[in-house]
Amino acid sequence: MGRLNGKTAVILGASDERSMGYATARRFIEEGANVIIAARRKDAVEALAGKLGAEGVACDITSEAELEALAAHAVKTFGTLDIAVNYAGIEVSAPILDVTAEDLRRSSDVHFVGATLFIKQMARVMAAGGSIMTASSLTILVQAPGQAAYAGAKGGADVVVRIAANELGEKGIRVNSIAPGFTRSAMTEAYFEMEAVRRAFLKEMPLGRFPTVEDVAEVALWLGSDEAFVTGQRIDVTAGQALRRVPLASEYV
Amino acid sequence: MGRLEGKRALIVGAAGTGNMGQVIARRFATEGAKVAVAGRHMDVLQALAGEIGGVAVECDFTQRDSIFAMVEESMARLGGIDVSVNATGWGLLKPFLETSDEDMDRMYALQLRGPFQWMQALIPVMEKQGGGSIIQISSATATIMFHDHSAYMATKAGTDHMIRTVANEFGPAGIRANSVSPGVTETPMTAEAGAVPGLLDAFKKGYPLGRYGTSEDIAAGCVFLASDECFMTGENLQVNGGLRLRGNPTKTDIEASVATAMSAEG
Repeated sequence: MGRLNGKTAVILGASDERSMGYATARRFIEEGANVIIAARRKDAVEALAGKLGAEGVACDITSEAELEALAAHAVKTFGTLDIAVNYAGIEVSAPILDVTAEDLRRSSDVHFVGATLFIKQMARVMAAGGSIMTASSLTILVQAPGQAAYAGAKGGADVVVRIAANELGEKGIRVNSIAPGFTRSAMTEAYFEMEAVRRAFLKEMPLGRFPTVEDVAEVALWLGSDEAFVTGQRIDVTAGQALRRVPLASEYV
Repeated sequence: MGRLEGKRALIVGAAGTGNMGQVIARRFATEGAKVAVAGRHMDVLQALAGEIGGVAVECDFTQRDSIFAMVEESMARLGGIDVSVNATGWGLLKPFLETSDEDMDRMYALQLRGPFQWMQALIPVMEKQGGGSIIQISSATATIMFHDHSAYMATKAGTDHMIRTVANEFGPAGIRANSVSPGVTETPMTAEAGAVPGLLDAFKKGYPLGRYGTSEDIAAGCVFLASDECFMTGENLQVNGGLRLRGNPTKTDIEASVATAMSAEG
């Protein structure tokens, strides 16, 4: 008996086999869920969906109409939407002295406005309650240089998570975020290529290894299941790095 | 296949019939763990151990020797300890100005020194095994307010910080340490308050999900933290239906709710 038997899940941000979205989709399918994966690029998401035996839908988180269509697709295909996970993210990094309005808007469109409208559109079709998750970040818990645009927007989304949880609780909808630490994925691959970066980060992780996309998927599974009487929370998967610090660039450049 | 198959778990604070520790122990056993249940009342513990195929170990959590002896005996009888949950507690409700030195000493011994010594006893065992998961039952009131509960709340908050230090220092040994914060949960500890008409109603509006927690909810959180699926450490899990987003009622709210219920009962 799978832990998500009979549930339908939408996972946004599954554009690559190394992604948290893909790992989560795979885990959800193992536990018996109907899964729809979504990402911006139609060809990529359809290819991945084919591999998983899932549905694949093109969806750009910066378009509310596309988010609405994604939720509607889930309901039309499987009759219900029970779980929605948002991992859509872009890398935006600039020191505070150089950050531009364009950087801030680009990050906000995805990580703040996008995440908020994702919660809104998914919640609107969750007729029988459900569980919504959005990706937070280690960079909200401990300061990381150059992350004003990225962490600023993600931090705003975490506040929205609590507000949404408070408002949607009476509909039986739980809303939480997951804060991964420095995790190897398509987005971070370039950093992981640099041995000095890996070493500088690893020494700040009490558990002595990097979080993996599979670790993140396990948290999503727990929050998605009926086993989590938890709402309005941020769940940390940082290997304990939130207890320590993010290294400065001068430590690895 | 249970999610805790092959795990050896020590649950402390399981000597009250139907209490949170007992519910956690039952759930762990259902998930395939071999369980030692500990507390002060051997008759209750033995009955539970018999039901779930576990072992009963006597422990007074306010006594250092008793805590170390419990860990040693559990080690011997389970063959190791992969997970331990501390569900002991003393839900003292007393106005701040009336809390006596004896109250403070007893609270400190049970809710701050006890957890410290429990982890001092456990960590060397877990280090030798190559790791483990330590789970402290905290409380929503370690962060949100409740009146006349200061000694309890202060020690719970202190123990949460202790959990972070253990996570930080013993992570390299493969030990994860986390706490779980219930809100109002229907347990024998809260049964007395629950029997007062109108009292629990005053709390309900604090729960976005529209119901109180149960010990089963807490046990489910503990299963996740205990399992190999979980890569979390140094964290406090708020398993309370969103209570932390809203908070507890004030003393005035509660008194008004009780008065209304009493007059309705007439």
